This record gives sequence, C-alpha cells and structure tokens, in this order.
Amino acid sequence: MTEHVLDDLEAYALGALTRTDAERVASHLAVCDSCRAEAMSLGEIVGVLPESVPLREPSPALRERVLAAARGEVPARRSRPAWSVGRIRPWPIITAVLAAGVIVLGAANVDANRQLRAVTAERDASGTTIEAIREGARTWYMAGKESFSGSGGTLYDPHADGKQPFVLFHDLPAIPPGKVLTIWLVSAGSAWARAANFVPDGRDVQVVPISLEVAGFDRCAVTMEDAPWGPRYGAVVMESRIAPPATAP
Amino acid sequence: MSALASRELGALATLYDRYGRLAYSLAYRILGESEGAEDVVQDAFLSAWRGAASYRPDRGNPRSWLLSIVHHRAVDILRRKTTFRPAPLEAAELQPANEDTAASAERNVEDRTVREALDALPQAQRRTIELAYFGGYTHVELSELMGVPLGTVKGRMRIGLQKMRRSLEHMR
Repeated sequence: MTEHVLDDLEAYALGALTRTDAERVASHLAVCDSCRAEAMSLGEIVGVLPESVPLREPSPALRERVLAAARGEVPARRSRPAWSVGRIRPWPIITAVLAAGVIVLGAANVDANRQLRAVTAERDASGTTIEAIREGARTWYMAGKESFSGSGGTLYDPHADGKQPFVLFHDLPAIPPGKVLTIWLVSAGSAWARAANFVPDGRDVQVVPISLEVAGFDRCAVTMEDAPWGPRYGAVVMESRIAPPATAP
Repeated sequence: MSALASRELGALATLYDRYGRLAYSLAYRILGESEGAEDVVQDAFLSAWRGAASYRPDRGNPRSWLLSIVHHRAVDILRRKTTFRPAPLEAAELQPANEDTAASAERNVEDRTVREALDALPQAQRRTIELAYFGGYTHVELSELMGVPLGTVKGRMRIGLQKMRRSLEHMR
C-alpha cells in the first residue's frame, strides 16, 4: 500500500491540491480504508460550506434553458442563441452531413459505410448537428482504442458564431454500471479540462454537446471515469490532436 | 435519482427546483459574475442528467453530489481564467463572501448555523478555508499568498475544519 495521506486530506476535501497531488491522494484512498473514512468525514464538513453562501436568484430563464438543453433542443451555453431548424429541408442537409462524415472518416481510415449508416440513423434526433454542418465546421476524428476499437467520435467546431461544439460518436460500446465517459480538451501545457460527461445510450450514433470553446486547446480525448467531476483518472479510449485554425493572410 | 438516470425530464426539473438556487449561489460566489455562474449551473445539471447512472449513494447525497460538480466546474473555470496564477489576495477577498443581501435574510436555520460556525473560526483559519474552497487556491498557492509555511496552511485547514465539525455537532 502507498504511504498514508492524512496530511493532505483537508486540502483534498477542499479541492486545494494540484491535479498531480489529488491523483496521488485518490489513488491511495482507493486502497486504504482508514484514510478513505477520514476523507469522507472531512467531505461531509466541506460539503456544508455552500450553505454559508449568500443566496442569489438565477435568471428565471435558466430553469428552462437547463430543461431545454437536456431535451437536446438548444445548445448548452447561456450566451448563445438557440439553433433554429424550422426551415431546414432535411435531405439536402443530411447529404452534407454524410459528405462531411465521409471526408473526415476517410482521412482517418475508418469504414465510411458504417459511419454513413450511423449518421443516417441519427437524422431525426440531430437537427442541431445538421445545421451546424450545413454552415460549416472544423472537424477532428477520434478513433477508438482497445475495447473501444471500432467506435469513434468526430469533434465538430461550427464556424458560425453562437454554435456550440459537439462530438458525434458512433458505435460506442456499453460501459460498466457506475462509469461515465468524459470528453476532455487538453491544452498545450497538458492541462485537462472536462468538456462533457455522458453515458452511451445504445444507439448507433450519439451526439454530445461540449461546454467549452475548442479554441486554445491542442488535443481532445475521451476517458472512462468513475465520477463526472474531478481530475482525470481513466485511461484514454480515443483521442485526436486539434489542429490550429488557418492563419488569415 | 433513479428517475433521473432513466432520463425523466420531470426528475431533472425537480432537482433544479430543489437545488438550482443554491447551485447558482455557489457558482456565483466562486466566479463573482452571473453569466459564468449560470453557465456553470447549466453544465452541472446537464452533467447530472447525463451522468446520473454513475451516481453512487455511498459517496454522498444528491445535493452534495450536485454541488460537488458545481464546485469543481466553477473552480476549473476560475483557475483557467487566471492561468493558475493566484490573483491578489485583496481581489479574492473582495468577492461577495459576506455581503448581507436581502436574499440572505431568507436563509433557514441550517444555513445560518453553517455561516455561524465559519464565522466563529479565527480569521486566519476562516480565510484559509474560504480562499481554498471558494477562491480556488491550492494549498501551495495559499502558502505563497499568505506568506506562511505550507505546514501552517495545512494546519489552519485541519484545525479549522475540526472546529467547524465540533460547532456543527454542538449547534445541531
């Protein structure tokens, strides 16, 4: 067993450790009952700190934004307008989706036919995806590794202002109960920023909006985690470099 | 939580009605601005929505789980905004930690109890805990910021949290 971490448990509970130190402490807690019991006790005390905060009212619209985003009808960011799909004629746009998918996936040497079928299957549920692609988007493909081999995901960063980035996954395998998949954006300095958490829904294709701007990051990756928050612990199951935008002449 | 894991929107609405205000208040306390705080709250509820299947009751109740997500998200943003360099101590302390708003008057007894337990701490311990939790500072940054050894920062955290635990046990 690793050395006990009692000296760092208060800072760990308060979220005041560096990522490296937090990972070291978490690794020890996974195997040490006594330290874990103390950490949970401290966590209960720290957990009441939000109750000391002056209460404020969010805007009344926030509730509906949360629910609407959960329905997948609007992007998840407050400051961005909802995406209109009312005037879209579906099939020409689906053609654009398929073309984009084939181009991206062809470059990544992935079976385009499978992806084509998958994207087609998604058409009824991904109006936002369709519109984003119609208006143009930078894309990067992440190929699944090991147990995720055969699956993959394309990160779309729409050109149009106000459009939220998202990842279009295909053929995701089921994951163990209690686990969650996390999309990360990684900076040049190897800082990992959590962009989204999700669980595969069993469909051929799944669209996951991400909550961060893509600009400024060098890499995107997906890991399988125990919790939808905190530092990265899980192994990378797919990843891609994110090329910088072309420089204007 | 099982209804949330089953993707029932009504369960998400109930979760928001119960904890949305507190979640927003926490995010605002950390970020100090409303737009970013609302983004964090929205992201946190969506994370709960997407990750409810991963919720483990043995690691805390739904309220603690949700507020942990809010805290981590808000601190992540705060640290990225400041590129991990500590802001001046004065700036951190100017964030609205202790403002006496009309809304605060509506707090229930439990909320006041926690505030009282925190306020009862010696200033150095309270400041250390608040800057760590609400200010997003690591203990090493706090050591530099406050000009005291790292061991002193750890000691203030330890003793402060122990006192809070005793105070809350006594008050409740």
